[in-house]
Amino acid sequence: MSAELKELEGILNVTLPEKLIEDIVKVEEGHFNVHSTVKNAYELMKILHEEAGVYHLSTISGIEKEKEFNICYHLQHRIEEEFREIPINFFVTKVDKGNPKTPSMIDFFVSADYYEREIYDFFGIYFESHPFLQRLILPERWPDDVRPLRKEYGWEQIKEITLDIAKKALEED
Amino acid sequence: MTGEFRSRFRTLTDGSDAPPDADHHIFIGPQHPWAEEPAHFIIHVKGERVVEADIRIGFNLRGIEKAMENKTWRQNTMLVPRACGICSAVHQNIYVRVVDRLAGVEDQISERARLIRMFSLEAERVHSHILWYGILAHDAGFDTMLHISWRDREIIMDIVEDFSGNRVNPALMLPGGVKRDIPKEKADKARPMLDELEKKVLYHKKVFTEEASIRNRLEDVGVLTKDDAKKTTPNGPTGRGSGLPFDIRKSYPYELYDKIDWNLVYYTEGDILATTMVRIDETLESIQMCKQILDRLESTQGELLARVKPRIPEGSYMSRAEAPRGEDIHFGIANGTDTPERYKIRAPSLGNIDATLKRMDGEYIADMPVILRSYDPCFSCTNRVMIINEKTGEKMILNQDDFARKAIKAKKYNRSFF
Repeated sequence: MSAELKELEGILNVTLPEKLIEDIVKVEEGHFNVHSTVKNAYELMKILHEEAGVYHLSTISGIEKEKEFNICYHLQHRIEEEFREIPINFFVTKVDKGNPKTPSMIDFFVSADYYEREIYDFFGIYFESHPFLQRLILPERWPDDVRPLRKEYGWEQIKEITLDIAKKALEED
Repeated sequence: MTGEFRSRFRTLTDGSDAPPDADHHIFIGPQHPWAEEPAHFIIHVKGERVVEADIRIGFNLRGIEKAMENKTWRQNTMLVPRACGICSAVHQNIYVRVVDRLAGVEDQISERARLIRMFSLEAERVHSHILWYGILAHDAGFDTMLHISWRDREIIMDIVEDFSGNRVNPALMLPGGVKRDIPKEKADKARPMLDELEKKVLYHKKVFTEEASIRNRLEDVGVLTKDDAKKTTPNGPTGRGSGLPFDIRKSYPYELYDKIDWNLVYYTEGDILATTMVRIDETLESIQMCKQILDRLESTQGELLARVKPRIPEGSYMSRAEAPRGEDIHFGIANGTDTPERYKIRAPSLGNIDATLKRMDGEYIADMPVILRSYDPCFSCTNRVMIINEKTGEKMILNQDDFARKAIKAKKYNRSFF
């Protein structure tokens, strides 16, 4: 990990405190995976945004593991003089499955708004201090407790729910 | 940082949480010709000027990500291009690159297969950009240009059809390579067609830069400064029109983009004309690249398809490509079986919405069609705009043509929209 950390620090031109980082993986030349826990993620992102000047957030992915949720912020570090981008996948790990909560990164990225609401929709993960954490993509009639991208819901189940919604909508009209 | 972009959090459709100085609220959508996935725009106006704009999305959820978890990696190769109707090849390209990488066959893909993939991508960029500036001209009230550009677009559509058998969904790629070759006879047939298309696009460029009636509709309209662009993070031509010189083909090269001669196009003005010029110049670059690729194909031989086992070993990979509309990003996780554990797709338009809303601030209502078009949303027809006069409660329902006509008249004769 320390060799990768050194390389990333060299590219970003900052010092990243080792205690905030769980793991760093070099995927390929100029492409890194950074893992950090829920507790430290906000602090580490603050350093990346304010000191290293990472301003581009491409998207956020939610990942369901056996015992925890992971959230992946796909960041790009942009070096304008060289027309170059360094992709950094910022993983927030150890999000509790029973009570999924994680800090919102909306303070750093305006575009985090839509992406975090999308994850909230599909996985039911709460982003603390998000000013408007409401449904973004799922239809209005969709049941509140069904989080469709969780593994507990199979394809057939999702189909049934969708058909039910359509039926109810027809009856109401 | 979010304070100045607070308007995005107001998604109440009845306008009850509208900014205090707005006197009218214009509702556009959800299924509206000016929205990518059917989107609902709420535009708060004071007189003729826009105070704030807001958006609601999510009217066309097809569940592709969930469906992909229930199909094999091989089946998904044909599902993933359906994510978008126009830029299908680029979605397929990223998907096959994710699978190539996870399966560990990245090094076995021949140069010839990579060149054919690139031809498909560049041909798609050409037809997507020509389609876009045709519709832009239509929204600006210059229908002649729509007809001219769409007539000329048929040239590249014919080439794509000849090479792949399909007009808009070529589906040439497979994990491990490509499924069809481009034989020499077909390449020879395509070359004069590309020359002809280049001449036509040069003429289109002349029209957009010299014809006053269209230029005046685009110049200094919806300016997005570089600072605002950095905050709202637009991607693709929207960002490159505002002086952010990032094109993934240059900034993080994939396939053989680092081995082919081409120039990065970017403008610094930030208005709609700048994004238009970015796209027209890119079209010319792409045509030039298509010709180069055809020339290189003559001297390159190699296997078209490397073998990929159906079971993909555990791992995850994030890959990106420059779609015609901007940065397209896929993130795939494999769990050792023949189906994906999780697959995430983000199409470019979602990343461009913030910047487009920012563009609208302080602009005329008459410029809205052009600004909404600027980030290249896809087309879905048949919906209306409802305009409500808050004081009198009077409702006006307009279809697309009426809205465009009113906007054009208001601009042309400098009179009020209502």
